[in-house]
Amino acid sequence: MTDLSITQLPAARLNVLEIWSNPLAVLDRFKKAFGPPLPPLGSSLQLLDRQLIRYEPTVWLVEGETTGLAEVLGSDGSLTAIGGGIVRVRLSGAGWRSLLMEGGVFDAESETFAAGCSAATVIDHVNVRLLVESDDACLAYVPLSYAHDMIHFWTVAAQSLV
Amino acid sequence: MSGPRRGDDCGSIRFTFDGKELLARPGDTLAAALLANGIGLVARSFKYHRPRGIMAAGVEEPNALVTVGTGGRSEPNTRATDVFVYDGMVARSQNRWPNLAFDVGSVLGLAAKTLPAGFYYKTFFGSAKRWMFYEWFIRRAAGLGDAPSEADPDRFSQRAAFCDVLVVGAGPAGLAAALAAAEAGESVILVEQDSLLTPSLVRDPQELGPAWAQATAVRIRALGGRILLRTTATGYWDDNLITLSERLAEPGEQPPNGTAQRLWHVRAKRVVLATGALERPLAFAHNDRPGVMLSHAVRTYVRRFGVVPGQRVVIATNNDDAYLTAIALRDAGAEVVAVLDTRPAPAGASSGFPVHNDTMPLATKGARHHLREVSARVDGKIVRWQADLLAMSGGFTPVVHLHMQAGGAALNWDEASQSFLPGAARQSVTSIGAAAAADPVGPTPSPENPGKAFIDFQNDVSLGDVDLAWAEGYRSVEHLKRYTTLGMATDQGKTSNMAALGRLAEKQGVAIPEAGLTTFRPPYTPVTMGLLAGRTERDAGAHLRRLALYEVHQAKVPIWQPLGYWKRPRAYPQGTETLAQAALREARGVRQAVGMTDVSTLAKFEVSGPHAAALLELICATTVAKLAVGRGRYTFMLREDGLVFDDGTVWRLGEDRYLLTSSTGGADRMATHISYVRQFLCPQFKVSAVNVQEHYAGIAVAGPQAKAVLAALIGDEPPRHMSTTSATIAGLPVIVLAASYSGERAFEIYVEASQAEPVWAACEAEVIAQGGCLYGMEAMEFLRIEKGHLVVGGEIDGRLTPHELALGGMLNKADGFVGAAGLTRPALTQPGRKQLVGLEALAGTIPEGAMLITAPGQPAEGHVTASGLRVLDGGSIALGQLNDGFARRGELLLASSTTRGQSARVRVVAPHFYDIGGERYRD
Amino acid sequence: MMLITCSHCGPRAQTEFTYERTVDSVVQPDADPAQAMEQLFTRANPRGLDDELWRHTFGCRAWLVMTRHRVTHQIEAIRAVGPEALP
Repeated sequence: MTDLSITQLPAARLNVLEIWSNPLAVLDRFKKAFGPPLPPLGSSLQLLDRQLIRYEPTVWLVEGETTGLAEVLGSDGSLTAIGGGIVRVRLSGAGWRSLLMEGGVFDAESETFAAGCSAATVIDHVNVRLLVESDDACLAYVPLSYAHDMIHFWTVAAQSLV
Repeated sequence: MSGPRRGDDCGSIRFTFDGKELLARPGDTLAAALLANGIGLVARSFKYHRPRGIMAAGVEEPNALVTVGTGGRSEPNTRATDVFVYDGMVARSQNRWPNLAFDVGSVLGLAAKTLPAGFYYKTFFGSAKRWMFYEWFIRRAAGLGDAPSEADPDRFSQRAAFCDVLVVGAGPAGLAAALAAAEAGESVILVEQDSLLTPSLVRDPQELGPAWAQATAVRIRALGGRILLRTTATGYWDDNLITLSERLAEPGEQPPNGTAQRLWHVRAKRVVLATGALERPLAFAHNDRPGVMLSHAVRTYVRRFGVVPGQRVVIATNNDDAYLTAIALRDAGAEVVAVLDTRPAPAGASSGFPVHNDTMPLATKGARHHLREVSARVDGKIVRWQADLLAMSGGFTPVVHLHMQAGGAALNWDEASQSFLPGAARQSVTSIGAAAAADPVGPTPSPENPGKAFIDFQNDVSLGDVDLAWAEGYRSVEHLKRYTTLGMATDQGKTSNMAALGRLAEKQGVAIPEAGLTTFRPPYTPVTMGLLAGRTERDAGAHLRRLALYEVHQAKVPIWQPLGYWKRPRAYPQGTETLAQAALREARGVRQAVGMTDVSTLAKFEVSGPHAAALLELICATTVAKLAVGRGRYTFMLREDGLVFDDGTVWRLGEDRYLLTSSTGGADRMATHISYVRQFLCPQFKVSAVNVQEHYAGIAVAGPQAKAVLAALIGDEPPRHMSTTSATIAGLPVIVLAASYSGERAFEIYVEASQAEPVWAACEAEVIAQGGCLYGMEAMEFLRIEKGHLVVGGEIDGRLTPHELALGGMLNKADGFVGAAGLTRPALTQPGRKQLVGLEALAGTIPEGAMLITAPGQPAEGHVTASGLRVLDGGSIALGQLNDGFARRGELLLASSTTRGQSARVRVVAPHFYDIGGERYRD
Repeated sequence: MMLITCSHCGPRAQTEFTYERTVDSVVQPDADPAQAMEQLFTRANPRGLDDELWRHTFGCRAWLVMTRHRVTHQIEAIRAVGPEALP
């Protein structure tokens, strides 16, 4: 399939936001500060200067700005930088869903996996986190040490997609 | 004119078989093309080297195994009936020498009486050495094709799919089921191992023919269904997971887009098995001769491929279906000289063929590997027919393999068809069509000469072998299988198991279902190793993880070393240096000036929150809470049984924020352990433990000039030993930890991995300016052995307590850490347990991995965990584990490696060889 | 390969999960040493249903207690364990 492109994006500011106590209180403070609620597992929240993607029960990946979040968390959680070890790869083109089935075990072809949805899974033995951007693009967060091989894997696999 | 033949159109596809150039028509299987070219002798049998031809037209073919393709694409043991000819195909016969027609090994067939079932067990007993000697000959005499000697150049893909309904088999039943499901709005995957839909409608034309099949396929696809041809469902696993093997190119063929095969993992909500049925051969003497074929197969060659496999034909059957073959042959111009039907004569109309009822073939005879004569006992007299083809049918066995692989599934014996039919199942699976029901058959009489009546053609097992196994006391079907090897060939007994079972039941005097069944194991048909291995373009089975600074290292052309999942520089040789020379130069550079190395792979966890110290005090067996902000310490971790499984350092970065490092190889295990303690044991803790292994790249700077290097880099006084500070290097924020693994003053610099290059460059410039060098894993190993630092996987092998590793003094006096309870086990304080020791050679080199013994022939009392040398002074030293080692200092032992054929006299010493007081760390 | 319904993520391939231990072998850090060793080394190991601790290691990383049949692989019940989390 030729309309698929695999692009490594520049390093991004990424932080782990973890809530360890009083999650409902943190949720209230978050809504007061930002408006919408924190996204549930398997989805994400796009704000102007940041995106919050939930991959774990108590953990959100924050891409972009973190201002205001320490206040929202108070003594109920913390932020930890992890962006140095993660490479963002954009899979764009109509075939991205099929591409993710190569070496994968997660149903990326399901219609319920729509824009804004997130999932952590295994692709070709590598732990990858996915974020659907649109019908035509999906972001993959790949561990830095595997990124070179994964980009190669996707590039080669894309050539024989049917 | 006799033997197989085809009309005037020989086709235009060129291929070779054993070097002979031949022509084929599009859509031909290799078997069809060989028959079309009049080639009946295709293979030699596995054990007796008997001449064999093509028996079947599908994947059940037991005889016609060939090697297809050349070089890395060569695929041995391919069924000629399951490969479609393409232009340029190169096919070769197997298990023959010097050639197929004249095979030296066939003398084994003449000696078949001396090679009965269990022959190997009875003959080649004795010592293992003798077996090795015999095996060399046996491997050459009895065999399959040769494995390719070159790497496969093609890609093998693995792909997942999810669907509501998976239909296996695109015969009329499967196609109709797929259409019904698609029309009901279900997502459908339909797979067919053949290259076309409904091949049975080509064999047996009906009102709904191939045109109906094409239209149905179009409709299924329009409804979003997926149809995969040349795709075999090879395994049925838990929770309706089915593995499919899809051929995107034929064996040996260059794939059009680089991918030769695809392994599918399909998770279906329900599975429909329309897998059809396999025809059973009949057992009579010399039923394995080329020219003896299954009736269905004969009809397939006639109707689908336009090849008439013989001109004078005898039909042998116990059912009605074979009469359709007689008709097909007659329509194609062949002469049916006799139909031998085991059933009594029916009342009513005649079939129009010369039928002999209550009759079974007695034997066949051949000439030059072709069938010449079929004999039978008719009304008590032996009658002989000149014939070049015998089409036989012993009834049909539904393909229940996948049904049975699904687990928890039942089979029901059907007396009328003499076959097992699929019964209830635990998983959501149903069987339909010929896979669920079979037509009735008549009797299958025992042959007069069971010794030459083959049932497992591929492994050369006759009914006589079953009798012999019985006579020798093998009663269970599992024992019968193992003793005779019946059903254990690559065809897994598709055509033989029922005959063997019938014979065994007869011997036992029970009904067939009571004789028991062997297990139906995946894969249904053989799969290539490449399919299972997946992509082949990388050197290891899994990815090797790349350092953030990979390009920087690569530019220096290091010797790379796989370490766990990582690829790390082992040494940076200069000029013509060997590994040993480079490593020694680098290690001396560290001892005498300064060196730097990449330590990015260390496990790293950032632990924050009010309970950070409490969590770490559970995980670490040393104290943590007493650390002042800005200080760090060495630590180690225990399993619950009290044994040390990892070590590292812990640093207090801030009031409620710590950094824990641990071994590279144990990183994933430590991540799981921390998560277990935090999430499962202490869910109430207010703490966040984040794996930052890859977030930070690490650079270690070590040596007497390290302090000067750091001072220049951070523009400030570097932290004291076991202290930490944040700083800026090359304009980037870094964390500096003053820790040493080399015995020298040393620092670890951590920077966000995505920004590591400028920091590395700045460090390197300063290190070189101070007369230093880069060093790799090998030099690091020399340095740490000399200093007596432990390595996880070496000294810390998960079998020793802290005390035995000489770490007891650092244990947290307050219990409560994981493993504290385990340490109280009485067994851990018994004498005779291993303890950490140092070893120094009296002369020579201590072999890596050597056993420690008191004298040759004595039992091992310990072993060498790591062997090195005194970096500046020379002399072989090592670390090891020795029974009661602490009390044995001064003792002389032999370090002996039988695998390396090396040994050295050693003296047991303390496990420190360098700067025992630790003065070189201090300011 | 089983299909495991993670309490947080829904049905996912077994590949994403790791089996850790049986629940009857769990040792609390403050357990009495003798009792702790009893827990650790003396297991019921039933041929049939047992409570097992699994982790969705390559998914949401959460810990799960699974009641699984050791012979048929049938999962009778599954529940999430761990800190309090938002829905």
